[in-house]
Amino acid sequence: MTGTPIVRLENVTKTYGGIAALAQADFDLHPGEIHALVGENGAGKSTLCKLIAGVITPNEGTIRVDGQDANLATPKDASRLGISMVYQETSLVPQLTVAQNMVLGRESAFNSIRKVRNAARQVLQRLNFKVDPMQLAGSLSTAKRQMVEIARAVLNEARVIILDEPTAALTPEETDHLFDLMRSLQRSGVAMIFISHALEEALNHADRISVLRNGRLTVTGQARDFDRNRLIHHMIGEELKEFEREPAASAGPGSALPVLRVENVRMGSMVNNMSFSIFPGQITGIAGLIGSGRSEVAKVIMGHTKRNFGGGRIWLEGREVRYALPAQAVADGIAYVSEDRKLDGFFETMNATENIGLGWMAKFGRRKLIAPLQRMAQAARDWESRLSIRGIGKNQSVLYLSGGNQQKVVIAKSLVQKPKLVIFDEPTRGVDVGAIAEIRQIVRDFAESGAGVILISSYLPEILDLSDRILVAKSGTIVAEFARGEATASRILHAAIH
Amino acid sequence: MAEGLLSLAPGRRKSNLLAMIVLAVTVALIIVFSIAVDGFATVGNLRVILSNSASLVILSCGMGVVIISRGLDLSLIAQMVAGATVFSIMINAGAPGSLALLVAVATMVLVGMMNAWLIAYVEIPALLATLASAMFITGLFRFFILRGEYLLLLPKTNPAVIFLSSELLPGVSAPVALMFVALASAWFLLRRMSAGRTIYAMGDNFQAARLSGLPVRTTTIIVYVYAALAALMAGLVMSSASGTVDFRTVTNGTLLFEVILVVVLGGIPLRGGRGGIWNILVGVALIVVLRNGMTLLNVTAQTQDVVKGVVLIVAIVTDNYLNPRDTETDTVGDL
Repeated sequence: MTGTPIVRLENVTKTYGGIAALAQADFDLHPGEIHALVGENGAGKSTLCKLIAGVITPNEGTIRVDGQDANLATPKDASRLGISMVYQETSLVPQLTVAQNMVLGRESAFNSIRKVRNAARQVLQRLNFKVDPMQLAGSLSTAKRQMVEIARAVLNEARVIILDEPTAALTPEETDHLFDLMRSLQRSGVAMIFISHALEEALNHADRISVLRNGRLTVTGQARDFDRNRLIHHMIGEELKEFEREPAASAGPGSALPVLRVENVRMGSMVNNMSFSIFPGQITGIAGLIGSGRSEVAKVIMGHTKRNFGGGRIWLEGREVRYALPAQAVADGIAYVSEDRKLDGFFETMNATENIGLGWMAKFGRRKLIAPLQRMAQAARDWESRLSIRGIGKNQSVLYLSGGNQQKVVIAKSLVQKPKLVIFDEPTRGVDVGAIAEIRQIVRDFAESGAGVILISSYLPEILDLSDRILVAKSGTIVAEFARGEATASRILHAAIH
Repeated sequence: MAEGLLSLAPGRRKSNLLAMIVLAVTVALIIVFSIAVDGFATVGNLRVILSNSASLVILSCGMGVVIISRGLDLSLIAQMVAGATVFSIMINAGAPGSLALLVAVATMVLVGMMNAWLIAYVEIPALLATLASAMFITGLFRFFILRGEYLLLLPKTNPAVIFLSSELLPGVSAPVALMFVALASAWFLLRRMSAGRTIYAMGDNFQAARLSGLPVRTTTIIVYVYAALAALMAGLVMSSASGTVDFRTVTNGTLLFEVILVVVLGGIPLRGGRGGIWNILVGVALIVVLRNGMTLLNVTAQTQDVVKGVVLIVAIVTDNYLNPRDTETDTVGDL
C-alpha cells in the first residue's frame, strides 16, 4: 500500500505500574483497509486500540493522524479526527432510542426529534440495518446494539472505526452480516481495525493482520500470506497441538441411566417446554443461537432462577428435584460454570486459592461453624496444580490473571465440588488460544471420569469437537438431537436457524 | 498453612490507602490536640474517650459486618433502643438481670431474623427493608410499650444497671469490656467462621456466591442477627451510662450517620467485600478523637456536625482521587 497512512504509531509504549502493556509498537493503518489484531489475552491488543481511540495516552512515542502529530488526550480528540471505537460491552444508553443514541453528545442546541430520526434512519438504511430508529436501545439484542454503534460512527463521519472483539457475542449469521457491512464501509474509504480471537475471521475478512505477543507487535503482513498455523505460531511462539479424538466408546443414550432428566421446563419467555436427558460419562453439547434459552434452562436446573408455576419437572438420578437456591443443587452434586466469569463467576477481591477454596467450602464445609481454612487451601492448591493454573503472584487478585487462568479458576471452583453433573456455559469465551485447548481437555477428562457434562457453546467447532451428543435449542425448546457421527456444522445450523 | 491463607484473607491484602490516610490524620490530630488542648493527653481523658467510644465501636462492628456482606442496616439504632427498652422494662418489672438479658437477646434475634427474612427471602433491597423495619420497630415500641413516650428511666439502684456501669477490672469498665467482646466476636465471625468467608464472598460478588452454592440465605440471617445483637449490646451500654432509654436517638439520626461514617472512613466501601475490624478501629479513632478534642475546645454540637460532614466528603473525594475508577482500572485485568 502506498500513500500516507491515516493512523501511524511510532515507537509507542504504554506501561501500567512498571509493566509494559505495549512496548515500542510501530503500527500503521491505511485508508480503506480492514486490519485485524490477533493475540492472546493480555498481548496488548486492547491497549493498542485504546491508544488510537484516545482512551489512554502513551508513555512514549508518537501517534500521527494523516501524517500530523496528533495529541489524543481524550476520546473526544480522537472523534474530532474521525476515529471511533466500538467496545465489546456496548456503550449505548438503554433508556434512549436508537436515534437519540446515535447523535448522543453531538446534539445541536435545538434538537428536533424528527431531524434526528431522519438522519438516523438515513444512515441505518444506507447500511442496510433493519433497526427502527425509534426503538429503545435497551430492547435490542447484542448484535443489533453493536450495529447501532457502528452506525453511530458512520453518522459521525468516522474515517477510522475500531472494533473490539465485535463477533464475540454474535451468532454465525450475524457475524456474516457484520463483515458484509465492514466491506461496504471499506468501499467508502473507512479504515477499520478489529480485534478477534477467531483466527478464521481475521484470515478471511482482513486485508492485513498484525499479531501481538506479550505487549510486542511481532508481525504485520498481508492476510493472504498467513494461515492458521502461522498465526498461532506468531501468537504463542510455538505450534499449537490440535488434538484428535476418537468417538467415545460409551456413546449413545441407553447405555446408562440419565443423570439428569428435564421435562417440559418453562421459564418466562425464554424457556418453552424444554425436555432432554443427560447421561453420565459423556459430553452433551447444546448448540443454538444466543437467546435460545440454553443458559436460562441451566440456571433453572441450578435453582438460580425459578421456573414458571407448574413449569415442568426435573429429575436428578431418578429423584425429582426442585431447588429454591443453588446451594441445594450444589449439595446434590450439580455445578454450573458461568458464561460471564466477571459477572457471576469469580470473586475479584480474592486470589485463585481463595476462590477455589470457597467452592470447596460451599460443598463440603457447609455445616462447619469454623471455616476449615487449611483443608480449603489444600483442596484449592490440589486443583490449581491439576489444572495448571499459573498466577503472576499468589497474593494477586484473580483480576490480574489472564483470561485463560481466570476461566480455569472458575472451572476449578466448580470441579473441586466433585459434582455428578457440570454445566459448562461458554467455557472458552474470552480465553486465549493456548488455554482453549487446555480447557477443552479439562472438560473431556471430567466427562471421562464418569460425570455428566452439559456443554453450552455458541462456537460450533467447539461443540462438534467435544460433544458425544448434540442437542440444538431454538427459542426455548430442543428442536434436534444428533449423535456424534451424524452431526455437521451445517446440519446444526440448519436446525438452529429458521 | 492456615496462617498463610489467613494472611491472604480479603481486605487485608491490598493496603487500603484511605484507611492509611485516616490513620495519619488521626495521629496528627492527636499530636495537635495534645499540644494545643489542655487536658487532652491525660489518663483520665483517655478513659473518657474509651468509654465514650464503646457504644460507637459496638454499633460499628454490627454495621461493618453488614456492609461487608453488601448489605446495609438502617434499623440499627432503632434496634439498639428497642433492645434497651425490652431490657429496661423487664428489670423495671422486677425481673432479674439475667432473665431480662435473655428476653432481650431473644427479641433481638427475632428482629434480626425479620430483617434477614425481608432481604434474603422476600428479596427487598436491604436499604428499603431496614428503613421500613426501623420505622416499624420505633413505632411499635413507642406506641405499644411506651404509650407514646420517648423516654424510659432506668432504676439507678438496680444491680443489673450498676453492674453495667461498673469497673470489672481496674481500668476496664463493663462498657469497655463489651466493646472488646464486640470487636473479638466480629473478628472471629469474619476471619474464622465459615459464615465469615461467605460474608466476604457475598460482598464481593453476590451472584457468584449464590451460584457457587454458598449458603447466602443462612449467612444473611447470621449477619443481621449479629447486627441486632451488637445493637443490643450498644443499647445496654448507652442506657446504663445515661440511666435512660431515649427514642430521640433514633429520630434525630445523628448516631446512624456517625456509625456509617465510621465504617466508610475506615475504608470499608459500601459495595462490600472489603475491609475488616482494623478498618472499623481506624474509623472510630478519627471520629472519637475529633469529637473529644472539639468538645474540650467547647465547639458546639452543630459545628461538630458540620466538621463531620466535611470530613466524610473529603474522605470520599480523597478516595476517588487515590483510586480513580476509570477505564484503565476497570480493565486492568486484560490490558
